[in-house]
Amino acid sequence: MVHSLRLYRRLIGMEVRAQLQYRASFLLDMATSVLIVAIEFGTVAMVFGRFESLGGWRLEEVALLYGMAAMGFRTMDLLFSGFDPSDFGERIRLGQFDQVLLRPASATLQVLGSRFHLRRLGGAFQGVLIFALAVWIGDIAWTPAKAALVPVVLLSQIAFFGALFVAGATVTFWTVQSIEAVNILTYGGNELINYPMHIYQLWLRRFFTFVVPAVFINYAPALYILDKADPLGLPPWSRFLAPVVGAGMLALAAAFWRVGIRRYQSTGT
Amino acid sequence: MRADAAPIIAVDDVRKHFVGRRQRAGLLGALRDLARSERTLVRAVDGVSFRIAAGEVVGYLGPNGAGKSTTLKMLTGLLVPTSGTVVVDGRVPWRERKAYVAGIGAVFGQRSTLWWDLPVIESLELLRHMYRVPAERFTANLADFRALLDLDAFLSTPVRSLSLGQRMRADLAAALLHEPRILFLDEPTIGLDVVAKERIRDFIRHINQARGTTVVLTTHDLSDVQRLCERVMIIDHGKLLYDGRLAVLQERFGGRRALVVDLEDDAAGGAGGPVDAGGVEAAGLEVEGAELVERDGLRLTYKFRRDEVSASALIGRLSAALRIRDLEVREPDIEATVRRIYEERLLEGEGAERT
Repeated sequence: MVHSLRLYRRLIGMEVRAQLQYRASFLLDMATSVLIVAIEFGTVAMVFGRFESLGGWRLEEVALLYGMAAMGFRTMDLLFSGFDPSDFGERIRLGQFDQVLLRPASATLQVLGSRFHLRRLGGAFQGVLIFALAVWIGDIAWTPAKAALVPVVLLSQIAFFGALFVAGATVTFWTVQSIEAVNILTYGGNELINYPMHIYQLWLRRFFTFVVPAVFINYAPALYILDKADPLGLPPWSRFLAPVVGAGMLALAAAFWRVGIRRYQSTGT
Repeated sequence: MRADAAPIIAVDDVRKHFVGRRQRAGLLGALRDLARSERTLVRAVDGVSFRIAAGEVVGYLGPNGAGKSTTLKMLTGLLVPTSGTVVVDGRVPWRERKAYVAGIGAVFGQRSTLWWDLPVIESLELLRHMYRVPAERFTANLADFRALLDLDAFLSTPVRSLSLGQRMRADLAAALLHEPRILFLDEPTIGLDVVAKERIRDFIRHINQARGTTVVLTTHDLSDVQRLCERVMIIDHGKLLYDGRLAVLQERFGGRRALVVDLEDDAAGGAGGPVDAGGVEAAGLEVEGAELVERDGLRLTYKFRRDEVSASALIGRLSAALRIRDLEVREPDIEATVRRIYEERLLEGEGAERT
């Protein structure tokens, strides 16, 4: 176990040093990452200039959703860079996964350690700023429980979206090229949770409650933090389901991943 | 191979079948394929068996698509056979993957195993930790390889900046740092110039002799085989056609040896010029046991079979009849031999030859 952690650290170290070789590119990418999140939120803020509220939520309340989602998703994007479906699919196509199977270390560990795009930290940092804005402008009645919930929510989001990345990467064992449907769930899912879920139509809410349970990883905990009533009629304990949802999705994705590797060993590609 | 020595590699009736989709030609065919594709069964490896003893260097030959890479992938644990058994160094490769690959080295000629943007030495350091090589063994082996492969020139260079020959040397060093008992090489000299090829071959030979490392290599370059392998296996259409010594293969299918003679002067008379095998122009040039196949001015080319007459006997007979300035014995071309075996299917229907 210790050996694995050290190996992971070393693999990440290799990746970081490799990125720093291309300093200009790295700095530009980092700046772009920050800008993208800022601009995206900026457009949301501008909408609020026009409309008073979004489904009854004020700007600073939406900013809470936005900030948490950005922190969670972008951090996941960094940690799970190796499982990014389009990148992984490309490596499968080029036959580079063989190399992973020829080394005496867990395939999962090697893939996790194979990429570590530092530039994605830019987006996570931007999320911190937006979250800080939400906390500063808003009048949230903080309690220790609420404060403790924030990191739990972030970890849950990392697990949730990480699971989608892993599943999307696993699909490429069959399809070789990553499929667009995966992007709808990952990037689309990230977009979706930026806003209060009750503004969406029933079928969409149902899908993201019972099929891909995204409602529990941002909106539900935000209801608790903001002391808002739940217009969707979910039971009160659902506001704390985030870690269960995250862990559950990750476990399912891990199982699927193992199936994928076995399949790769039986067919080659 | 001694009968009492357990083989380090034991392959028994291994088969690997793929369900392939037959791609139909043309646009209409492609559209039809989208709707309903025809399935075909591809027998990439179709009942291959062999044993390799520790310390052997074995060449694995075959035309493209013969099943070489598929066999190698099953030996390295990348693929699970459809049926049959593979046991290497006491393990089933795909079943105990991590434990198994810790004891083998593999170099696939087309793809590097090293980190592209970083200096070679950093890749080697990381692999040291991954393979848990003790520091002293690592330093000793690295020093050894640095001398043998001349690594110092590029140890600090990023892999992306290396020439193909340098990258190959780096990959070999990386594959052997953890002192594996078996080394699998897939086209190790492909794309290299003559000097680089020789260096790689010398290194492989050294590793085999100094450390007893078993080497299995697939190659299209028959000089690799000649220089390195006592034993060669030929596979085609998924079946093992031949398993034995290269020299024996040569003898059976090798075509004739050639004796090229340069005469002192126009001893036999006549203006010279090429001559057909059937149309020898002047008596006095013929000799028992060999056939004069070409005459080009003062240069005569005779072909003869090793089992019919020895080179020295032939030379003796010719020297008695002609005034010879210089001569040369040429071995039959291995490439041509193997090509003939593939094209004329000389070995099919015999079952795998064992010699």
